[in-house]
Amino acid sequence: MTATPRIEVSDLVVRYGETTAVDGVSFAIAPGELVTLLGPSGCGKTTSLRAIAGLENPYSGTIRLNGETVWAGGKGPKIPSEKRGVSMVFQSYAIWPHMTVFENVAYGLRVRKSSQADISANVARVLDMVQMTQYADRPSSNLSGGQQQRVAVARAIAFSPTVVLFDEPLSNLDARLRAEMRVELRELQRRLDITSLYVTHDQEEALAISDRVIVMNGGKIEQLGSPEDIFNRPVSRFVADFVGSANMVEGRVKGTDPDGTMVFETKAGTQIRATAGKRDGKLLALRSSYVHFGGNEANAIQGTIHRRMFHGDFIQYVVDWPDGQLIVRRPPTEMLEEGSPVTVSFASDYCVLL
Amino acid sequence: MAKFDLRNWIVPILILVVGALVLYPIAFLITSSLNIGDPQLFPPEEWGVGNYLQLFEEPRIIGNTLLVASVATVLAVFFGFVQAWILTRTEIPGRERLERLMELPYYMTPLIGALAWGVLLGPKTGLGNQFWRSLGFSSDFFNIYSPQGIAWVMALFEGTVAFVMISASMKSMDPSLEESSRVLGASKFRTTIKITLPMVAPGVLSATIFVFAEMLGSFAAAFVLGIPGRFYVVTTAIWESALSYPPDYGHAAAMGLSLFGAMLVTLGIARVIMRHGSYATITGKAFRPRPMDVGAAKYPLMGIAWGYIVVAVILPLAALTLTSFQKFATVIIPQMQFTLANYEQAFTMGSLGPAFFNSMILGISVSTLGVPVIGVIAWIIYRSNMPGRILMEYVVMVPQAVPRLVFGLGLLWAWINIPIPIYGTLWLLGIAYFTVFLPLGLRTIAGVVLQVDKSLEECARVCGASWTHQMRTVTLPLLKPGLVAAWLLIFIASVRELGVSVFLMGPHSKVIAPSIVNSWLTASSELSAAMALLQTLMVFIAVAIMFRVARKVTGNQT
Repeated sequence: MTATPRIEVSDLVVRYGETTAVDGVSFAIAPGELVTLLGPSGCGKTTSLRAIAGLENPYSGTIRLNGETVWAGGKGPKIPSEKRGVSMVFQSYAIWPHMTVFENVAYGLRVRKSSQADISANVARVLDMVQMTQYADRPSSNLSGGQQQRVAVARAIAFSPTVVLFDEPLSNLDARLRAEMRVELRELQRRLDITSLYVTHDQEEALAISDRVIVMNGGKIEQLGSPEDIFNRPVSRFVADFVGSANMVEGRVKGTDPDGTMVFETKAGTQIRATAGKRDGKLLALRSSYVHFGGNEANAIQGTIHRRMFHGDFIQYVVDWPDGQLIVRRPPTEMLEEGSPVTVSFASDYCVLL
Repeated sequence: MAKFDLRNWIVPILILVVGALVLYPIAFLITSSLNIGDPQLFPPEEWGVGNYLQLFEEPRIIGNTLLVASVATVLAVFFGFVQAWILTRTEIPGRERLERLMELPYYMTPLIGALAWGVLLGPKTGLGNQFWRSLGFSSDFFNIYSPQGIAWVMALFEGTVAFVMISASMKSMDPSLEESSRVLGASKFRTTIKITLPMVAPGVLSATIFVFAEMLGSFAAAFVLGIPGRFYVVTTAIWESALSYPPDYGHAAAMGLSLFGAMLVTLGIARVIMRHGSYATITGKAFRPRPMDVGAAKYPLMGIAWGYIVVAVILPLAALTLTSFQKFATVIIPQMQFTLANYEQAFTMGSLGPAFFNSMILGISVSTLGVPVIGVIAWIIYRSNMPGRILMEYVVMVPQAVPRLVFGLGLLWAWINIPIPIYGTLWLLGIAYFTVFLPLGLRTIAGVVLQVDKSLEECARVCGASWTHQMRTVTLPLLKPGLVAAWLLIFIASVRELGVSVFLMGPHSKVIAPSIVNSWLTASSELSAAMALLQTLMVFIAVAIMFRVARKVTGNQT
């Protein structure tokens, strides 16, 4: 990475009294990137974001924005929120009810003493981007959730910030609107080339919109990587469980094939060929969507369909196999009867040893 | 089947009894205010609005009332706002403790406050003024027997009310509204001006109007500090017309009802503003307040917050204590003569001893008999589907809306004209206390009744329990904390009752609060101080028990 990172966090620790909310987190975000902090509630993701915005005082660690140190472990610079030049979209939107939509969006520009003409032009530009132009003069107190969300985004980008922080911006919307806004946010971020740090607990959302994903748990980073990495090559049981649907099989590595493929023997004695993960792993993770019925992958094992559940977009099968039950997700076109014998097969590439 | 008969009869009987207790005095007030004939006659022989027109012949009283209420409101809202801001929005040491202490001024009552400030800043003899003169000044530092003095004392008391209302509106504000302003580049100061103040403005405005309405109807401070200087506001004028000889009930009733009307209108405005103007209630969520880091300013701010507690509670109580143990109250140390005679006198002199005893008896019996009755009323209103329960709620809440003193006037006139010889006895005071404390008891018990999920009771019935069995095993145990709280609150309210008691107390049925005022106006301030402290002690003991019970209950539930 040659360009100066827009956001650089090293060894960040945030404490509330006795409890440590963020416990030694480090990462860097390059210009134009969208990075997601993903994790269950209480994992420290929002606290990290708020520390970057200057809304929490970290216990130790340093935070740099555009190469400038804004916080250094309580010593040295301690730049307040308003001087950090970042922008933020809040989970509750935080739309000021005593102002019109226009005034809300114009706030950051007014604070920066832009000219009246600049303000009008910029507000009009961003309201158009979020398709809220016709609401400009409305009082913002009776907007719907989706409209408030759009205003919050417009307000956050109106003064052309280089960094925008998103704190679970879509979590208060219903599922359909959330899926729609997800696409729009990604479009906007790409178009304006805004560096973004995005907090969410929704793994699907994180995978869909991010350039990179940081999975957090208990105040620490579990894994940092591209969405494909996180999904296909989880490094811990936590990541495999939290992101997507995975089967876990206990056992240990028995040997290695001539081509380097590891041979993992499960507790029930089944041998599975795996290429990814740690040699000394005691657990094998297998995504339920990477398992086929029939076929000729490296691993092929006999089983029986125990239960079938139709989900619409996919069918979830529970298959009895030597090591208990295996969850298999197949497209809705592959319909098999409960009780019928099947061969489950899967590639060694998708078997990850943890 | 007898049980079913009871349940069918209980609502009409209660409505009839409660309705009579509440509405009968008000009916009397209305008729006597329209009586322009012989004021002693009932029913009136001549009807007219003369009594109301007479109000405009004395614009000075209306002017005085508005002056005192306005000054006091401005001061009270200022105190309340500053305290609310410091205690909810800034990080000062000992914030939680201070927040709890903010309840104390409320339990001090305006009567005790007025007496204490009389002792402190009364002309010439006031401790503060004595000290001032001892420094070589030839005039008083401040004369508390003045409109400003009355306003000051009322403001210290109502400051707590303003604090509770304003801090509630500050706590209900989403902190991210301010945070987003900061992140977008606005300074702390700009955020305060552009975001915080507009957001809390409706809460402050409705608190202002609410406090103003309360000030219009307040009696004790104007009574203690206004009467010696012949400075009258509406409430003291009502008292004067009703108890002077010959009493002018018509005039008093007209003033009382006009006051009632004025308060009703102002409170109505406050409610409308609350409902339509408040931004904070949009989400209805409670937020974890994030107090801001104020740096070194936290010590001065803590000093200001403590300053209010000192001025509203500690200083007055200290002044009363110092006075009560002296023969002649003074701050000049060589002249001090300490004595316990004032306390001895409080129990022995003439009718004073019985006053304490009577107040205790009344407090205990009114709460003990009142709580079960109000409990049944609360259960009927909020839990049953019996017809007439909505009407009952309105009737029970009426005494809440009428200024206490005005209600007392109605009770006086109503019970004088009834052929049951209980006027001038404790019985009448007991009935009157029960009537005026109905809303207090109902609100307290209702708070708990509404918390208890209906399905808990329904489950008991489904499990096969009869109605009485369900009440005994499920409902009453769940309501217990509310019932205990209601008992103590009614007890406290009874032992410090003034507005109704001044009208209904007879020579053989003295109670504390009016006796203290009498002794203040006719006997010595040292004796009054001793009595006031004894009353405060009774109230504080009950408050302490209440907090202990409350803590035990919440402790058990978590």
